[in-house]
Amino acid sequence: METLWLVVLGVLTVGYFALAGFDYGTGLLLPFRKRDETLRLMTPFFLGNEVWLVAAIGVLFAAFPRLEGELLSGAHSVFTLVLAGLVLFMAAVQLRLWWWLVFTGALTVSVGWGLFLAHLLAAPWPTALVMPVLFALHGWVFQTRKWALFPITALLCALPIPLAFSSIDTNGLMAHADTLGLLAWVAIPIIPLVVLLQWSIVAISSR
Amino acid sequence: MSAVDLARLQFALTTSFHFLFVLLTLGLVTLLVIMQTRFTLTGAPVHERMTRFWGRIYVINYALGIVTGIVMEFQFGLNWSGLATYAGDVFGAPLAMETLIAFFLESTFLGLWIFGWGKLNRWLHLALLYLTALTAYASAFWIMAANGFLQHPVGYRVEGNVLRLDDFSALLSNPTFTSALMHVIFASITVGGVFMTGVAAYHFIKRTPEVDFFRRSLRMGVITTALATPSLIGAGFAQFPVIAEYQPGKSEATSWVGAPLGFMILIGMTLMMVSWLTLPLLIKDTVVRMRFPLYLMVIGIPLPFVAAIFGWMFREIGRQPWLIYGLLRTEDAVSHVDASQILLSLIVFTSLFVLLACVDWALIARAVRRGPDVAPAPVSPLVVTL
Repeated sequence: METLWLVVLGVLTVGYFALAGFDYGTGLLLPFRKRDETLRLMTPFFLGNEVWLVAAIGVLFAAFPRLEGELLSGAHSVFTLVLAGLVLFMAAVQLRLWWWLVFTGALTVSVGWGLFLAHLLAAPWPTALVMPVLFALHGWVFQTRKWALFPITALLCALPIPLAFSSIDTNGLMAHADTLGLLAWVAIPIIPLVVLLQWSIVAISSR
Repeated sequence: MSAVDLARLQFALTTSFHFLFVLLTLGLVTLLVIMQTRFTLTGAPVHERMTRFWGRIYVINYALGIVTGIVMEFQFGLNWSGLATYAGDVFGAPLAMETLIAFFLESTFLGLWIFGWGKLNRWLHLALLYLTALTAYASAFWIMAANGFLQHPVGYRVEGNVLRLDDFSALLSNPTFTSALMHVIFASITVGGVFMTGVAAYHFIKRTPEVDFFRRSLRMGVITTALATPSLIGAGFAQFPVIAEYQPGKSEATSWVGAPLGFMILIGMTLMMVSWLTLPLLIKDTVVRMRFPLYLMVIGIPLPFVAAIFGWMFREIGRQPWLIYGLLRTEDAVSHVDASQILLSLIVFTSLFVLLACVDWALIARAVRRGPDVAPAPVSPLVVTL
């Protein structure tokens, strides 16, 4: 049961960074590309990509309650930065507010995740620049439709933070088997269903 | 201010802002279901145009509501790590159900609805809106189940210094959950009704040529408000015996906690009375020809929002000093974080949320002023610049 939940959390986290990574990358590339066209390519994916984070944090709370609080409150200001960036980025993209706000939001979120990576690894702060660079690369691959490279940059974006996590010993931090068992009935069918539905959104909108 | 005061203030502010979006989302999706069902059944263009016009407003509001929701979700871990550590096994279960079954699915169905406009079979497209509405209500269901647990903890056992989930069904039959859920649902439908009435009244004041369109909207808004408010008030009063049994000291938690409750009841009663008085005036559009009630309808738009925030203030402040009633004190649940860090996040989130609320208001106002499209246009700001 414990392994199952590590896998669920891993899938959601990897899903979030692999998908939202090219959103942030697209935002970072905006100053250098045709803005309307660039945003339009991302549009059908956008909402679907970002909600993976919400699902991941929900699972973190319920299945790893004693990890969630320590992890988030231990990096309080970093998450304030990530969330502020997310708020700006999501509002600016969805409502097409101003392109520079999309860019600023994407930069804030990316640097925020980079700082979180540095925090997890206890590495010096320049490590934070890794995430914006990877996201921008992933965004470039997405925008230029180099699909052969896409899985590679997706993995490059997705792996740093889950890998940095793997040093944490989750023993004793997880919820009791009763809670995990109950939630398993929900989590296991939902994830493939959402993947299928999100795929349909992209398929429909490109018709 | 201490860390716990700042964290409480931040939670109160972010939750209140978030709830403003939630109310309108739930209210509008319910009305959209009716409109699109009528369109799908009759094929009449007016119903299609109504679905588009109100659908656009709904989507703007949803898009910004999501953003405030993400901050809400993180806040438990950021500022209240003691809650997850102590009760995450129990409290986390309905919260995770909400994110997985409700929110994760809701946003996906909504995405399909938006992008499937005009591309999918119309019955399938209608089914997507039903699923979006259903998962939106499921969201309210799970959040209220989680909140009900904080008001009156059930279904747990104590093991060492943490709570364990003992009986999940007890969480769902918790009296502080069931009575409040209905109240929240009817509050949302009331918001939808009052909002629609006010917007339609605005167009009659401006003498927009779209008379048939806004006559239908005005009627729908007034009838919705008249039907929802008696149940809203009934579900409200039904909570008093529950409170008397499980939280007898609620109205004495602070000296002023009764005031928001009083204002909320006053607003609820007023809305019920006014909507029933307006019903006969819908005949032959008397209310439109009288004109002055139209101004009251526009001014009345904020009232149910204000009442809902007052209701939450009573429910949450009345629970103090407990976070989980009788089990965990609020001051013991706050994260071990510097007050200065919480102050920083308080300032950042509050200013962003004020900004979002203004942007939401401005964009909705712009969509309202433009009125329904004459030529069909994409329904969503996700698709095209507004």
